[in-house]
Amino acid sequence: MKNWRLFILMMIFLASCGEDEKPLIDTEYPEILVEDDSFPLQCSVIERGTTLEFKAYFSDNVELGSYSLDIHHNFDHHTHSTEVNSCNEDPIKTPVNPLLLIQTFTIPEGLTEYVGTAEIEIPADIDPGDYHFMIRLTDQEGWQTLQGLSIKIE
Amino acid sequence: MFHVVVFVYLQCNCILLHMTYLLLFVTSLLSFSYVPEQRLLEATYLDSTEGQAQRRWDTVIPAKLDTFPRIQELEEVVVIDQAEMIRREESNNVELIKQDFIRENRSGSLMKSLERIPGISMIGIGSGASKPLIRGLGFNQVMVVENGLKHEGQQWGADHGLEVDQFAADQIQIIKGPASFKYGSDAIGGVIDIREKLAPAEDGFGGSVELGARSNNGWFGGSANVFYRKNNWFAEGRLTVADYGDFRVPTDSVFVYDFGVALHEGQVRNSAGQELDFSTRVGFLGKNFRNTLGVSRVSTKAGFFANAHGLEPRQVDTGLHDRSSRDILLPFQEVTHTKVINKVSYAAGKNFLQLDLGYQRNDRKEWSQYVNHGYMPAIYPAEMLYPSNQERAFDKEVFSINVKDEIFLDRHELGFGASGEYQHNDIGGWGFLIPAFQQYSYGFFAIDKYKLTPLWQLTAALRFDHSQIHVEEYQDWFPSVEDASQATEDDYLFRAEEFQRKFNSLVWSVGVNYNPGDLVLKANVGTSFRMPIAKELAANGVNYHYFRYERGNANLDPERSLQLDLGGELKKEKWLLSFSPFVNYFSNYIYLNPTAEMDVLYGAGNQVFNYTQAEVLRYGAELSALYQLNSKWSFELLGEYVYSEQKSGDKQGFTLPFSPPTSGIINATYKPLTEGFFSNPYFAVDFRATARQENIVPPEKVTPGYQLVNLRAGSAISVFGQEIQTDLQVQNLFNTRYLNHTSFYRLINLPEAGRNISVSLSYEF
Repeated sequence: MKNWRLFILMMIFLASCGEDEKPLIDTEYPEILVEDDSFPLQCSVIERGTTLEFKAYFSDNVELGSYSLDIHHNFDHHTHSTEVNSCNEDPIKTPVNPLLLIQTFTIPEGLTEYVGTAEIEIPADIDPGDYHFMIRLTDQEGWQTLQGLSIKIE
Repeated sequence: MFHVVVFVYLQCNCILLHMTYLLLFVTSLLSFSYVPEQRLLEATYLDSTEGQAQRRWDTVIPAKLDTFPRIQELEEVVVIDQAEMIRREESNNVELIKQDFIRENRSGSLMKSLERIPGISMIGIGSGASKPLIRGLGFNQVMVVENGLKHEGQQWGADHGLEVDQFAADQIQIIKGPASFKYGSDAIGGVIDIREKLAPAEDGFGGSVELGARSNNGWFGGSANVFYRKNNWFAEGRLTVADYGDFRVPTDSVFVYDFGVALHEGQVRNSAGQELDFSTRVGFLGKNFRNTLGVSRVSTKAGFFANAHGLEPRQVDTGLHDRSSRDILLPFQEVTHTKVINKVSYAAGKNFLQLDLGYQRNDRKEWSQYVNHGYMPAIYPAEMLYPSNQERAFDKEVFSINVKDEIFLDRHELGFGASGEYQHNDIGGWGFLIPAFQQYSYGFFAIDKYKLTPLWQLTAALRFDHSQIHVEEYQDWFPSVEDASQATEDDYLFRAEEFQRKFNSLVWSVGVNYNPGDLVLKANVGTSFRMPIAKELAANGVNYHYFRYERGNANLDPERSLQLDLGGELKKEKWLLSFSPFVNYFSNYIYLNPTAEMDVLYGAGNQVFNYTQAEVLRYGAELSALYQLNSKWSFELLGEYVYSEQKSGDKQGFTLPFSPPTSGIINATYKPLTEGFFSNPYFAVDFRATARQENIVPPEKVTPGYQLVNLRAGSAISVFGQEIQTDLQVQNLFNTRYLNHTSFYRLINLPEAGRNISVSLSYEF
């Protein structure tokens, strides 16, 4: 019989113990939205000696973090493109003076939507050909979304 | 009546209270349900088939049980099963896995073969490699011990499997929960203690041959073993060979991020592999003195999924890869693990002295085409020390010594021991993940098992450890500037600074066992620790295949955990119930925290992941119930649940990475009685249901639940008077497409292997 008393006692304790107030956690990735005036897009073509006008739309359910841009050659067709459509690629070739660009940007605090813009000069003396344009976007919780675009520099 | 309330006040937390009362509730139910029933016992002895069912549990029922508990009656209980003895005597939650279980559940890798055990899951990489997770903890938080020696591979790497010959494993003892007091650092999440076969008991020559085939990845392999004993001397040898092709998944395409990859005939491109292992032992078995010298080597070569090196999408020459499903092209890894172990023991009076000396070398090379990431030059320089396709190399040498004296007194079983270890780690290749380092450590421990009464046993243990690590500097071979022609000496970054750290740790553990007849109740509370590893202290580089820049923290403290484990087991003539809940608190869990930050100079534009420490609360339980309907039919229910939550730091409220979802198995086993051609046949069906995992932490994804059906059957077959054990398995019977939350390739949505039929034959002579 002792067991029943104990059992009842425990049920009282269990009942008196309410649901824990668990902090709400963010489990959503930020998004890179493609709009009409986003640039570059998959298979965009950029001329050497001009300025690449980068524009992308970012959004997150809680708060955006930062983003980075990375342009590197894809003369070996190694692909980090995250787009399904592949572009017309030049034949595989050996790089001589390929363009390399790595830049990071912080997004002002407290925003759930942001338009990322940057002006990137494409030098005239670099190797033309297939390049990757990678956009990495984080939110405050550390979720990261990647967009890898194949572009061509002529 | 057994009601021990062990109060662990950690935080004002209702979950803990819930757990404690849940445990109390179960314990009281278990003890309440204990009603000795003479009638049932009689029924058992009247029916001979039921008697046989009893013996399958390897016990003899107490002859008389009208009053309870009384010491005299316990003496009539004859416990002959080793697994049960360990469960009764150890206050931790221990599972003893025997050869038969491994044989009947054999998969491509040892941990995959053990996945059925509640509380055990694994991080799989391809079909031939996996690493253990015990109650959701893995990597350096789970210690693997092989023949008394701590197995030292590259435990920190998710894509590094366990270098163990699963055919050589005869018995595996799994400690679910911390066991630092006995095993030292790293045994904070649990221990997988693998033991090879005992030395042959009788003079003469013998051996065994096992052959097998698996349909899913075209696996062919086997293992042969011979032994010889003459008087006090014995010798033994084993050779294991395996060769397998790409494994197949029930889909024709996967998306690596958004990059679509078409799979040729559902094959995971370039996941083929090979394995070649040998081991040999020579020993002297005297009356008091014993010495065994063992040498073993495990060599594997296995491809990585070519379309995603790490998690990075890669364009591949599909024509080249799809020509054969058995070739291993870039990227792939080669691992050779060599071990030399000498074990000496001496029995003198009430003392049992043991000395183990060990040497092991883990030589790992990872090969991949050179791709310039970040600021690396577009063309691989010809003057580099390493070939252009050697991405990484790890070369680890470990020397270890363990001494132990066990003293068997009337009521006390005392153990005193010391251990020492020296590690030398070199790195190579053009990629950088962890710096080279040297490390040495020593520890002392004392354990007392005290038989209070024949029913009650207390265990107490204390251990001190010291460890010292010396990390070597590492400088990039390329300048981190966009225009390399303008580079200065400062642009060659130091990815690791030279430094030393020393750590001390004192841990304790107290346990109690109460074993009245067919009931086993136990409780254990104790602390455990883990020294930070070189990667956690000193990493400062980009893991390009995960798009992340990992930044170590030289100020990390040893990880400490406090855990309460309870265990209850009730055995009736038709039932075997066991329940093992736990609550665990880490004051400073070492965690690789993804931040919002990006870094240009050191991180080459990648997201920054910082090693930090956070409070973590974990709790969970495993359940198993076996019902023996009659001599032929038995049913089993297995379940596991674990919950983890970070209680402080940036990821407060989040779980830990690789949290296994709740899962259960319902099993039906049929063992007909036969005579003649087939002996001891069995048919078993497992229905596995795994819940959706919604508790995730960046960069994980919510993983949907799934159900699987696995079949097993087997029998010993008599051929010309010889018995050949034949086992058949059908895994994933319905070729279900599902994702495993703890799989390495989960993040790129690669489904798990489709239907697999495997056959194995084994013959002992």
